[in-house]
Amino acid sequence: MRQSGEHRIPAPRAEVWRALNDPAVLRRCLDGCRSMRAVADGEFVAEVAAKVGPVRAPFTADIALCDVAPMVSYRLEVRVRGGVAGFAKGSASVRLAEVENGRETALNYSIEGAIGGKLAQIGSRLVESAARKMTASFFERFVADFAASAAPAR
Amino acid sequence: MYAFSYHKPATAQEAADLMASADEGAYLAGGMTLVPTLKQRLAAPSDVIDLTGIHGLRGIRTLDGKVKVGATTRHAEVAANEHIPVLADLAGRIGDPHVRNCGTLGGSVANSDPAADYPAAVVALDATVHTNKRAIAGDEFFKGLFETALEDGEIVTAVDFRAPSAAAYAKFPNPASRYAVVGVLVARYGDQVRVGVTGAGPCAFRAANIEAALAADFRPGAVDDVGIDYGDFNADLHASAEYRGHLVRVLAKRAVAQIGSADSG
Repeated sequence: MRQSGEHRIPAPRAEVWRALNDPAVLRRCLDGCRSMRAVADGEFVAEVAAKVGPVRAPFTADIALCDVAPMVSYRLEVRVRGGVAGFAKGSASVRLAEVENGRETALNYSIEGAIGGKLAQIGSRLVESAARKMTASFFERFVADFAASAAPAR
Repeated sequence: MYAFSYHKPATAQEAADLMASADEGAYLAGGMTLVPTLKQRLAAPSDVIDLTGIHGLRGIRTLDGKVKVGATTRHAEVAANEHIPVLADLAGRIGDPHVRNCGTLGGSVANSDPAADYPAAVVALDATVHTNKRAIAGDEFFKGLFETALEDGEIVTAVDFRAPSAAAYAKFPNPASRYAVVGVLVARYGDQVRVGVTGAGPCAFRAANIEAALAADFRPGAVDDVGIDYGDFNADLHASAEYRGHLVRVLAKRAVAQIGSADSG
């Protein structure tokens, strides 16, 4: 399973980078995320209640930041533990570039992942569509978050 | 299966009240999706609210060129009804006999599985979805993967379909589940053409460019040059997005050919 895309964010690169490292922002943007806490430098634990059609699958994800190049790029390594629905692991590479003389930021991402267990067995025809929907919704909210916080401040 | 409380209310109001007071409620109609999900322990509702005991939700009636199918009407009952032949044909090709004798129209449309058959008919046959609160145009009903215009707790009570002058449903079924890898329903209403597609995208949709091509020239060949944008189509182990795009065109042509041969015969 692979996905990639680009989003234009109406904020300078430093602000986008800060948001990408802020568990509170990540929690707000991730659909079904009930908690996201930093457990060590560059390591988070997230509790997510995924909802796809009739399926309600709560799971815990360990997230580690790797290959961090401050202000430019990082890679998120994600491992989903246990839960009855199965297991999953994946990584998301994010790269930032300044555009419009630094007033805006272009965010490029690419995601790959694999799943196993019950979800892979019975839900395989839906997993890719569901993952795409979750990714789209994450970046939609991430961009909206900036638009909302930027508007009253300027 | 995890433990839950089972309810079988006699009215839609009672069902909605039970849902509102439940910690995490789930409506049960035919159970063809919910029950396997529960058995796999992929959902743990506190309350399961069975809608099949509600009076007046089951059965088929005709009025003014429309056919009203109650939400808990089984697929097998629609398949045996002759008022809209294309709807009967579609219903008769859902799943297997077990699914057709348990599964319901309301359950299928409320679930909005991207590969379900009925959603193609809802968009192509100019349907109106009635709920316990309002009427929703078929074109406005499906919003995304397992997403509909229904609000939390809202119950589908019936769907009205408008009888076309001619129509056909062409489907490429998954050989195991009979879910539509892609299904295309082409319906003629006089000079107007409506084309509903299921299985291809995150939810059922109308193919406006195929409709326009067929309104100008109602022949299979008219679909040849229509561009199919498969950018957001589903991809899984059964078919890539590009292949699903190809199937949309092929199945639209088959449906048109089937209507054409019926017209001339």
